[in-house]
Amino acid sequence: MPLVPVPKSTFVQKLKRFFMVDLLKGMAVTLGFNIGALTDKDSVAGKGIYTEQYPKVRPDVAPRFHGAPRLNMDPETHDTLCIACNLCALACPEDCIDVIPMDVEVIVAGKPRRKKVLDEFIFDTSRCMFCALCQEACPTYCLELTQDFELATYSRAGFVWNREMLEQGRETVKYES
Amino acid sequence: MLFALLAAPSFIDSLLLKFFSEPTVNYVIWPFIQIGLVVVITTGWVAYATYLERKISAFMQARLGPMRVGPWGLLQPIADGLKLLTKEDFIPENADRWIFFVAPYIAVVAAFIVLAVVPFGPDWAVITDVNIGVLFVLAVSSVGVLALILAGWSSNSKYALLGALRSSAQMVSYEVSMGLAIIGALMFARTLSLSGVVGAQASNSIWFLLYQPVGFMIFLVSGIAENNRAPFDLPEAESELVAGFHTEYSGFRWSLFFMAEYTAMVVVTAVATTLYLGGWYFPFVYRLTEAKGYHNVYVVISLLVFLAKAGLLLYLYFWLRWTLPRFRYDQLMDLGWKWMLPAALINIVITAIGVTVIQGLDNPSGMHTIKSLSAGLGLTASGKVIAIAFGIINLFLTAGVLSLINWRSRDFNLKKQRRQIRLVDLPKGKPAVMPASPGDVVSEARP
Repeated sequence: MPLVPVPKSTFVQKLKRFFMVDLLKGMAVTLGFNIGALTDKDSVAGKGIYTEQYPKVRPDVAPRFHGAPRLNMDPETHDTLCIACNLCALACPEDCIDVIPMDVEVIVAGKPRRKKVLDEFIFDTSRCMFCALCQEACPTYCLELTQDFELATYSRAGFVWNREMLEQGRETVKYES
Repeated sequence: MLFALLAAPSFIDSLLLKFFSEPTVNYVIWPFIQIGLVVVITTGWVAYATYLERKISAFMQARLGPMRVGPWGLLQPIADGLKLLTKEDFIPENADRWIFFVAPYIAVVAAFIVLAVVPFGPDWAVITDVNIGVLFVLAVSSVGVLALILAGWSSNSKYALLGALRSSAQMVSYEVSMGLAIIGALMFARTLSLSGVVGAQASNSIWFLLYQPVGFMIFLVSGIAENNRAPFDLPEAESELVAGFHTEYSGFRWSLFFMAEYTAMVVVTAVATTLYLGGWYFPFVYRLTEAKGYHNVYVVISLLVFLAKAGLLLYLYFWLRWTLPRFRYDQLMDLGWKWMLPAALINIVITAIGVTVIQGLDNPSGMHTIKSLSAGLGLTASGKVIAIAFGIINLFLTAGVLSLINWRSRDFNLKKQRRQIRLVDLPKGKPAVMPASPGDVVSEARP
């Protein structure tokens, strides 16, 4: 045992020991938490229950939280907003985005023109670090990192999201509260 | 509904008398009904005590506890019970099969049988009133140790054996101070019958806790230690002994041990309530119900009072368990033999002096301290004041004598232990040298 200089206990300390003040203090702490758990409903005084009933009650994530990616669509026409400009793929530091465009024939002012539109969008969430630089780069506010945080899958391939998943969102089991 | 429940005893009584003779009803059938009720209620209470303990521990740690089975997890004990019943009843290789089979039953029987003499309430709320009730409680509850030793020995496992050794040593050493602590209360009760003890408190309208604060504290601490509950749960110290004496048990047999532990807790709280907290006695209840003719209301309210008091003590068990860390083994023995036992002896001596002083002061010419001796030591107001004063003086005197006895012994204070080690290691007058680094220590400081 190391030699530690310990001062002689004073009279007050002896008195505290006699009345078991430390024991009573400890018991007051646990009793306080017990009462707090029953009364302090939303943990206002810091003595309430911290446990979240997760699958039943979904936690509120921080406002700037970046979660699952999503490709936004035009709310009226339900066409994708993506113009296949590839800026997001260039902005991505992890190279986890693949934008695959295709050319379509459109008639503009009576003349046939070729237009580049989005064919397939591959987003590898296993490599994504949720920096949201792609979201910053997107000129049409199409690609967005949402607040959804349930990204776990059963296979490695499940982490790679295609265009359909990005537009519709992935199906997850929702529990009723 | 409530009225029907309250009228039930007399109704059933008249119904039974049509079929059986009066002695059969009084001495066979009614006791069986009472025993059945007590066993069923206690088993249910034990099951829900586990639920309560889990909830309370969760609340104390800002958690929620069981929530998924039923509303607020209320069906959790039933789910646990079903799980335990369907589990495999595993018997280890080379185990002493018969002893291994029998040990859990001994534990449960020893725990449950004490409930036969506990007065849950007046009149029909007592199964039987043995005139040596206190002795019976002590004798039977110490049989529980046997179950632990047998379980640990027959398991053929080092952890179980070590746990059994520890728990038997612990239970034996704390039983002594527990038995001695009771004597103080019995001096005021003047009877060994548990109903008599309650009656003595009721007729004097006082709780023996006021006369016997030291006795109550010793009884509680010894009771917690005897039940192998935290902070004295060394036999089940998970970090050292896996699960102590029931390491090798599984399924139903394990649940029997579990039930025995919780029932023993209920028993100790019930006995502590009876001896020190007035049992089913509560002020004004008699005057408001029995005196006006509502006999069954009186019994039921007294029953509820008893359960409330015992419940409070049970909460104290949970509270202590989730507040205090576990004692070391030497600290446990230290507390038992060097502190609890002398304290119990001092308590007896001082209580005896107090009773003698009260009896000596009672004379026809001067003070009038004793009212009657029919039910316990019936004291007048001045007698009560003297008795309570003796109780409080007892607290300080006991503490003083204890510190006198133990002034050289190492105690629970780690600071003091360090200081004493320093005093042993160093020549006098020289201050201790702080080690340069945590690595190098005592070696060069020694002469």
